[in-house]
Amino acid sequence: MQLSTHALTLRFGPTTALSALTTNFPEGSRTVVWGPAGGGKTSLLKCLAGLLRPTEGEVRWDDVSTSGLSAEARRAAQVDFGMVFQTDALFDSLTVLDNVLLPLRNRRVPEAEASARAHEALRRVGLSHALDRRPEHLSGGMKKRCGVARAIVARPHVLLADDPFSGLDPQTERSIAELLLEVSEGRTLVVALPDPVDALPVTRTVRLVDGAEARG
Amino acid sequence: MIRAVGRLTLWALRGLGANALVLARTLFYLPRLDGGELRRALVLFGFRSLPLTLGAAALIGATVVLQIGVYATRLYAGWAAGFSLLWEFGPLLLGLVMGARIGARNAAELALLNVNGQLEGLRGISLDPFRILVAPRVVASLLSVLGLASVTFLVAIIWQAVAAYLTLGLPVRIFFGAFADLLFWGDLAAGIIKSAAYGLAIAVVSTTAGLKAAGGAAGVGRAAAAAVVSGCAAIFFLDLALTPWLAKVLVR
Amino acid sequence: MTGGPLRVLGAQTMLFARTVRAAARHGVRRREVLRHMAELGTSSALLIAVGLFFFGVVLVTIAWAQARKYFGNIAVLGPPYFQLILREFSPIMAAVLAASRQGASTAAALGAMSVNEQLEALELSAADPLAELVAPRLIASVLVLPLLTVLGVVAATSSAALTITFAFQNNGAAFLDPSLVTTGDVLSALVKTLLCGAFIPIAASLRGLQAQGGAGAVGEAVTVGVVEACMGCLLIDFLVAAAFFILSAQQ
Repeated sequence: MQLSTHALTLRFGPTTALSALTTNFPEGSRTVVWGPAGGGKTSLLKCLAGLLRPTEGEVRWDDVSTSGLSAEARRAAQVDFGMVFQTDALFDSLTVLDNVLLPLRNRRVPEAEASARAHEALRRVGLSHALDRRPEHLSGGMKKRCGVARAIVARPHVLLADDPFSGLDPQTERSIAELLLEVSEGRTLVVALPDPVDALPVTRTVRLVDGAEARG
Repeated sequence: MIRAVGRLTLWALRGLGANALVLARTLFYLPRLDGGELRRALVLFGFRSLPLTLGAAALIGATVVLQIGVYATRLYAGWAAGFSLLWEFGPLLLGLVMGARIGARNAAELALLNVNGQLEGLRGISLDPFRILVAPRVVASLLSVLGLASVTFLVAIIWQAVAAYLTLGLPVRIFFGAFADLLFWGDLAAGIIKSAAYGLAIAVVSTTAGLKAAGGAAGVGRAAAAAVVSGCAAIFFLDLALTPWLAKVLVR
Repeated sequence: MTGGPLRVLGAQTMLFARTVRAAARHGVRRREVLRHMAELGTSSALLIAVGLFFFGVVLVTIAWAQARKYFGNIAVLGPPYFQLILREFSPIMAAVLAASRQGASTAAALGAMSVNEQLEALELSAADPLAELVAPRLIASVLVLPLLTVLGVVAATSSAALTITFAFQNNGAAFLDPSLVTTGDVLSALVKTLLCGAFIPIAASLRGLQAQGGAGAVGEAVTVGVVEACMGCLLIDFLVAAAFFILSAQQ
């Protein structure tokens, strides 16, 4: 899926998170969006996934403008997105396995198939040994892996990762970077980072400052 | 069963102990109160709550007048009922609303400082958080509720005049003429002592909840929620404990 | 309380409509509703029962002092006391206490989920946060608040009867006399509790869902959510009382 933004502007009250941003992310591309804190990286990722509505301008999924979609159509199309959140956003009341099963159960995937796919996703991120543990008892790296597993379990075409290395040591950072590259094979990958890192070689970087793309 | 009772008793004692500790340390710092913090807390708790208080007082008063109005044609006793309602129901309900506002805000602010490690930071530079954060807030809460309650008593008196007009057909002018007969200083003093006690309880209980907070955003939310609930409980308890005593001492 | 009460109520009405629509589209899990009902019942029931029991004691203590001054016979206050408790005091006290208890915990829970990005994670997991989180709380609250109000009536009238009988050695049974209660009174109480029952979780959820930023935003959400829930209940109470007053005056 190709993602593009057209004069995308997002405001929260008096603060402007994104200002007239026009850019695109071709199908299968790997992009790092980087820049200082408050530059609009998280906002851009959430707009791309349809989690935040643009104040002005629009986001297009292939050639479909998200502004015109009904709530149901948007939700149906969001099956194409997996997102790794900055805060992990795992549910502490659920086990690791149930957290990963959540997107499948909500989409009414038959239980046997859902279970097989969740186990497969957890195996790929290396968490097969921690299925029954609660997120609060996991290390930072393991939580991130669990978040990746939940993001990919519904087989999305687009994988978004918001600052996936924050609070991780260099070694864990490298292993999560490898994991992201591996699981995003054949998908569109957009990663938001404070700085580009060597561990994550990508075809393109976009630098966001004050909600707009900064050149050079 | 016995163990459950024991655990409950222990829990209650520990809660009381924590509250008593907050109160004691506030009293200790009373002579050396931080003036700037006190002013800030007074604006936050008192001044900013004024519109809310006036709104609530007007709504409660109007509702009570409506309810008593029904008895106008039926029962002479409506007047006595109206009297006790305005002086009991109103202050109690207002205490609950103010408790929610001041208590939740106080607990949330302290909990935020707590989970962010800023309280530890203060101790690190040998400043006692009780002196600059807790004591001024407890005093400010007491003064705020006292002041706000006085305003609402004024509103209550106006509504009482309206109620008198509706229930007894007493013209408002005559009502204020006969004011001395209807309102006794003892009643007023009782109301003021009660509201001061509510204000103190709200501050102590919410401070205790805020200082206990742990665990990020969820912890701050839990602390604010706990402050509201224990504030309600404390107000009901104080109401029951103080009213019979005040009625005996102050009301002829 | 910025922007005036009308705009605030507008936001809550809109959230209510969206929640109902989301619930109709996605369905509501019965287990979640039952879980919230149980939580509401266990957490608020004690507060409301004890609170209104105390309230009854205090009210008749004051009424006793007044009655001695003016006409001597307290028992004559019994039937109107029962009627007032049922029509006015139990509904509003139960609503304000539930707004404190349940409003605070709802705003805290949803606020924490909001700042932890869990609402967005739910959305990307094909779940509707309104159907999943708000609707069960709404249904549970509408079902449970009337029961809590009945509990409040029982607590406040029985405490009054006990106080009069044992503390003042008078005819306490008069305070259990429902002879003045009319269908209109019951209806008024029911309308109040149903409206407040719907308003409380909506008002609290609104501020919880809006929480953005850090832990401070959650504290703010709880404060504003609880206050708005309480004030909304007072407003509903007044409006319903006024409506029934006008209706009864016309008859």
